[in-house]
Amino acid sequence: MNYGPAPSYGPGPGGGPGPGFGGPGGPGGPTVLDPYALPSDDNVNPYTFCVELKGSQWFLQKGKMIAYYGQIDFNGIGHGRFDRLLRTSFHSPLHASDWVVAEGSGKMLLADRAFDVNSYDLDEGNLTIRSGNLLAYQPSLALKQSIVPGFLTLIGTGKFVAASNGPVVFMEPPLRVDPQALVGWADCPSPCHHYDHGYMQGVMGGLRQLTGIGGASGEEHQFEFVGAGTVLLQSTELLMAEQPVGQVQAAAGVPGHGQGPLGQQLGVPRMPGQLGDLQRRFGL
Amino acid sequence: MLAVDLSGDAVKAKNGSMVAYDGQMAFKKMSGGGEGLRGMVTRRLTGEQMTVMEVQGHGTCYFADRASEINLVNLHGEKLYVESSNLLCTDAGLRTGTTFTGLRGGATGNGLFTTTVEGTGQAAIMSDGPAVVLRVSAQYPLSVDPGAYIAHTGNLQQHFQSGVNFRTLIGEGSGEAFQIRFEGEGLVYVQPSERNTVGGDV
Amino acid sequence: MPFREINSKMIEAQIVPGQRVYSQRGAMLAYRGEVSFTPDLTGGQGGVMGMIGRRVANEQTPLMTVEGQGTVMFGHGGHHIQVINLQGDTLYVEADRLLAFDGTLQQGTMFMGSQGGVMGMVRGQVTGQGLFTTTLKGHGAVAVMAHGGVIELPITPNRPVHVDPQAYVAHHGDVRNKLSTALGWRDMVGRGSGEAFQLELSGHGAVYVQASEEKL
Repeated sequence: MNYGPAPSYGPGPGGGPGPGFGGPGGPGGPTVLDPYALPSDDNVNPYTFCVELKGSQWFLQKGKMIAYYGQIDFNGIGHGRFDRLLRTSFHSPLHASDWVVAEGSGKMLLADRAFDVNSYDLDEGNLTIRSGNLLAYQPSLALKQSIVPGFLTLIGTGKFVAASNGPVVFMEPPLRVDPQALVGWADCPSPCHHYDHGYMQGVMGGLRQLTGIGGASGEEHQFEFVGAGTVLLQSTELLMAEQPVGQVQAAAGVPGHGQGPLGQQLGVPRMPGQLGDLQRRFGL
Repeated sequence: MLAVDLSGDAVKAKNGSMVAYDGQMAFKKMSGGGEGLRGMVTRRLTGEQMTVMEVQGHGTCYFADRASEINLVNLHGEKLYVESSNLLCTDAGLRTGTTFTGLRGGATGNGLFTTTVEGTGQAAIMSDGPAVVLRVSAQYPLSVDPGAYIAHTGNLQQHFQSGVNFRTLIGEGSGEAFQIRFEGEGLVYVQPSERNTVGGDV
Repeated sequence: MPFREINSKMIEAQIVPGQRVYSQRGAMLAYRGEVSFTPDLTGGQGGVMGMIGRRVANEQTPLMTVEGQGTVMFGHGGHHIQVINLQGDTLYVEADRLLAFDGTLQQGTMFMGSQGGVMGMVRGQVTGQGLFTTTLKGHGAVAVMAHGGVIELPITPNRPVHVDPQAYVAHHGDVRNKLSTALGWRDMVGRGSGEAFQLELSGHGAVYVQASEEKL
């Protein structure tokens, strides 16, 4: 009897066995890892990331640690002795309970529902990312809430780990992106909305709007990126669960406090037949 | 997807996991795990309801289940402990049984009993994303999230670890509040994903 | 016009003037350049007749026409994408699995029942996907979605392939299909081994099978 990977089987769900997962399906079976063989702050395979702690700290989204070696403590970030840390690296009114601080010595594995995970190095830079995609980051980075609702901005120098549905694809502007496929962007100006007039108007468009047949699909509304920078896309329109990033204080000039049409527009799929702001915009 | 070349021999596989084959194959449903009536009764009692079929023939058989990743485990006489829902396929010569695992089962909500596979041959286990195999030795015990655990081999003691370093915050736990701690000598298979656990969103 | 596979879940298509691509509505992830997306109630070609055909056939996957000049990225729902290049033969695929395809391909619907007789009818009931299947014929590329990875199994005259109807994705070539039962199926009636029915494909061509028994 002979077992083996099926022929012409493409990369397994999301990608093949990754680095450090040598000899897949070979006679020796999978690589066995121990604290020495595990990489330091690198991917074990496309879906698992290993963080090495040497008396240092990392911020983690709750529940993304799957295993660890060594002495590591996990503490809710509301705990008193992290007040100073929070002041420097945790600026958004996030639900503090969604994050924990890992502290100690050892190696821990991070993963998120078998999604692809990747680490990103920032060097005096900034990157804005969808809140649900961010898994962990070094306290040397400052986490702030983006003015685009549902997004968080990381500023400074350090490493962070993010998950994506399918590998992340890096693109350069100019580019128009389906809102649901957007993971984040770095260095370039925040996106603006783009509406496809051709899709919205005409007999079919009108029929679609009146009857709601067809619904919204992303083809009539994109985020448009211009300028220099990098746009991060995930290869699917299946959204990661959005993390609550907390409410912004309602104040004049602050978008996205959840009261104006702007606040509802983002991330929320429009129901068929529900036209709202679009209808007004095009005078339909 | 798992491809198995058969030349007259047989494999035991999870019911309904065959997606394609060529050549001549015969499928036979097996009562409860392959140990006949007694085995079935044990399974009924333990709640490990694994329905197994035996596939025998000449040709290539393809197995898959819900797009799960498949990991091959070579057994040379040792015992593999795996949740029955994660066991896809084994050599027909391997013995399967049930064992009491106590604490962990309670944490994962998968019941207090786990399937064991014993003998010499290969077993295919499923995971959500490719499994990472971690070695546990005397000086390197391992802590694993209950939702990410899928299987282990070797002589390992497992106990529930909770609360020691965890402080609650405004009535909510720190998230990583419960882990299984493995000590001894052996290998633990961990998946890059977490099942829903009874212990909350661990 | 071939599709370039960016990764297992995302493809890129170059759109040039005068050549159109049809895609499932909502499958566009990003684009660059001047590209227009027109929803198409009739499901591509065929006009009213095509629409009626589709209504009857229950193959009403909403399509859109993609035209212009630029680059478009397609992907949908985290599904795996298999690009199949057709060289004159016919691809049989359930319409809801179609992600995008070359506009030059000739579309049609086929009554699966006519091929397998009574068993073919059963097949429709087994898969719950109706008795009608979309056909695409000609020279061009088709991007098909599947749950989990996809393998391509060649079918040769003396080597028929048996496929679980739930895991069947598509097939092309000169292939006959019928519903068969494996040896010993009598033992399993009422106890549900899960493999009681299989789709037997024989002839000359290839069948695509997904690593899952879930439909899209």
